[in-house]
Amino acid sequence: MIVEGSDDLSRKILIIDDEDDIREVCSLSLETVAGWEVIKASSGAQGVARAAEQRPDAILLDVMMPGMDGPATFRELRKNPATAAIPVLLLTAKVQGTDQRRFADLGVEAVLFKPFDPLTLPSQISRALGWN
Amino acid sequence: MGDSDQFVPATDEAISSALDAMWNRHRTQILERVAVLDDAAAAVAAGKLTAVDREAAQAAAHKLAGTLGMFNLMHGTELARELEKTYAQESAPPATSAEHLVSLTSEIRILIETRKTG
Repeated sequence: MIVEGSDDLSRKILIIDDEDDIREVCSLSLETVAGWEVIKASSGAQGVARAAEQRPDAILLDVMMPGMDGPATFRELRKNPATAAIPVLLLTAKVQGTDQRRFADLGVEAVLFKPFDPLTLPSQISRALGWN
Repeated sequence: MGDSDQFVPATDEAISSALDAMWNRHRTQILERVAVLDDAAAAVAAGKLTAVDREAAQAAAHKLAGTLGMFNLMHGTELARELEKTYAQESAPPATSAEHLVSLTSEIRILIETRKTG
């Protein structure tokens, strides 16, 4: 069976999102559609720590979180040499053009939008990161 | 992943079933977000929406917009986006818009309560 967006490599993805339901659906998608390993964090601070410990292949980062939000978390990740090179994809429900331009200007690899389709999320990530 | 441990993707049916189980686990929390929108619409009607209420309503609408479409409720996402945009304004919506806000919120609640599984 050929799965669009998957390849022979197993990937490790860190999801940083304060919403339980989003983390669960992301995990379901990445684990069962693509066979990737998923690590989860429910806050920016926890995500920064997990990223340094686990060195994932990519990070899915929510924008709106209490405390350290997505952009602040991204800056922390870039400051640390251990995590500076890990590709980050922002995950947001904001659809306005001004928000999208602001997020793209941060220097993230890509901006993905909520709601996402669990069946195609891995292929969106693969396309954005050139993993196909 | 070696040849003996070849990954087999889950079927659409299995994923749909897993999503239904997640929906059932999170439905109460999702309806709590709708309750925040109910309270905000009532406060708009009474001319008593505070900045804190408005921010809470904006956050609740934002979360609903991001969540509902993942569970095949894209129309719910669109309605929630409209509410998010309304509550994102710097001032409270006028009392004359209360009826529309109540209507949008009620429609979201109905979509959630009648979502079909399977």
